[in-house]
Amino acid sequence: MATQNLPTVQLVDPTGFDPGETPLVMAARPIDLRGGRLGLLDNSKANADAILWAIADALNDEFEFADVFYARKHSSSLPPHPEVLADLHRNADFVIAGVGD
Amino acid sequence: MVEAAPRAAVHTIPDSLDAIEECYRRGWTDGLPVVPPTADRVQAMLEAVGLEPGHVLGEVPVRRRALTAEQAAANAVMAGCLPAYFPVVLATMRVLFEHDPNCIHEVSAVTNSTGLMVAVNGPIRREINLNCTDNLFSPGNRANSTIGRALRLILINVFEQRPGLLDRGCMGSLTKFGVVFGEDEENSPWEPFHVSQGFTAEQSTVTVATIQDPSMHSNRYGSTAESLLDSIADGMASHGLAAYFGRNIKWVWIVGHWHSERLARQGWTRTDMQEYVYERSWRSAGQLKRLGMATGAVQPGDDEERRMTVAGPDDILIFKAGGDSGMYSELIMNYYGVPAEIGVI
Repeated sequence: MATQNLPTVQLVDPTGFDPGETPLVMAARPIDLRGGRLGLLDNSKANADAILWAIADALNDEFEFADVFYARKHSSSLPPHPEVLADLHRNADFVIAGVGD
Repeated sequence: MVEAAPRAAVHTIPDSLDAIEECYRRGWTDGLPVVPPTADRVQAMLEAVGLEPGHVLGEVPVRRRALTAEQAAANAVMAGCLPAYFPVVLATMRVLFEHDPNCIHEVSAVTNSTGLMVAVNGPIRREINLNCTDNLFSPGNRANSTIGRALRLILINVFEQRPGLLDRGCMGSLTKFGVVFGEDEENSPWEPFHVSQGFTAEQSTVTVATIQDPSMHSNRYGSTAESLLDSIADGMASHGLAAYFGRNIKWVWIVGHWHSERLARQGWTRTDMQEYVYERSWRSAGQLKRLGMATGAVQPGDDEERRMTVAGPDDILIFKAGGDSGMYSELIMNYYGVPAEIGVI
C-alpha cells in the first residue's frame, strides 16, 4: 500500500549541541605515581580538606611523593578559577578532586 | 562565542498524537505531554522576536552547550507558550547568561534542588495576562505556567539537566515546574519593585533568582506591623535553611494583599521593612551548631555570636502580590546560581 501521500508532522529538534571546535581528550595517564607531585583540589565543601589530606597521607606512605600541592575551588558547584587550574598544571603531575560534607 | 549555528534537525512523524509520544520517546518532556514543536509553530515564535533560527543566545562553557533562538523557540512551543510570551523567556535566559553562563550548570550540579523564580514587572504583565493576584503560584494561568515550563524544558533539552544525570537534586523541587509571577503593581501601596531598583514604570523587567522551595507564611491574628515583621524575620531564620546563613543569599518576601494593607496603613515603607526584618533575622552560632547546621563543637561565646540570615537589608527583596482571600505572604530563599538579577524585557 502506498503511504507516501499521508500527512505527516515535522518536529524541530529542541536539543542542544556542542559549540566547541576541538574535541575533548583525556589527559595522558601517569605510568607510575612514585616520586611524582600530587595535587589536591578541594571543592570547598566542609571537610573536603580533611578527606583529601587523609588520602594524600595514605598514598604518600606507598608512593613517597616529591610534593603535595593543595588548591581550593571558590564554589563547589562551579569550575575552578583559571588561575587555580594554572597552579595545578604548574605544580602537580596528577590531581585528586574531593568532596566533603 | 559562535555567532550563528546550524539549523536544528527535523524529524518526520506520522501524525500529531504520534508526535507527542515521539517527544516522550526522545526524552524531550518534563513528564507531562508537550505541544509538538512543528516548524510553523517554531517559526511563529521566532517571528515574534525577530530572531534568526541560528542566532546563538549564549553558551555554557563548562557543559560545552550553546542555546540557539530556534532551540529556545522549540522548547517554548513544547511548553505551550504563545509567541507573545517568548520575550519573557528570552529575557530570563539573557539574565542567566549575563550573570555567569556557568550558573546554568550550577543550578543543576547542586544537590539543593534549586528552581528558577521569575518575577515580572511593568506593562508586559497586562499584555500577556500574567497572573499577579489570586492563586499566585497555582496552575491555571497559561502565561505563568508555560513561561516557567519553557525555561525548564530549555534546561532539560539544551543543557541536559535531566534528573539522575546532570540534575543532581536530592529531594527535587516543585519549583522546577516553574515559579513565574507578576507583581500586583496596581494594588500595591509601594512603588513597583523594578522602579525601586532604578527602572522606569514604563519598562518591563524580569527579576531572576535561583531558589529553594517557597514557604507560605501566615500571620493572621496579629494586628500590628511589628507582629508581622517579627514573624517574617523568624521565618527567614528557620533552622532548616540555616546551613546557608552568611553565604551571600537573598530572601524574596512576597507580601500578600492584607499583609501589605496592614503595613501600609501603619506607615511602613519598603526600606523600613527591610531594615526592621534584617536586624531581627538571625540565629546564634551556638544554636546552629547544636542543630547540625554549622560545623564544629560549640565554643564559649558561640551563644552570643549572631549569624545574620542575609548580609544587609537590601538583600531582602519585597514584592506585593497574591490574592485577597486570606492573610498570607510567601517567603522564598535565593541560593546558588543567580542572586536575583534584573533584566529588561
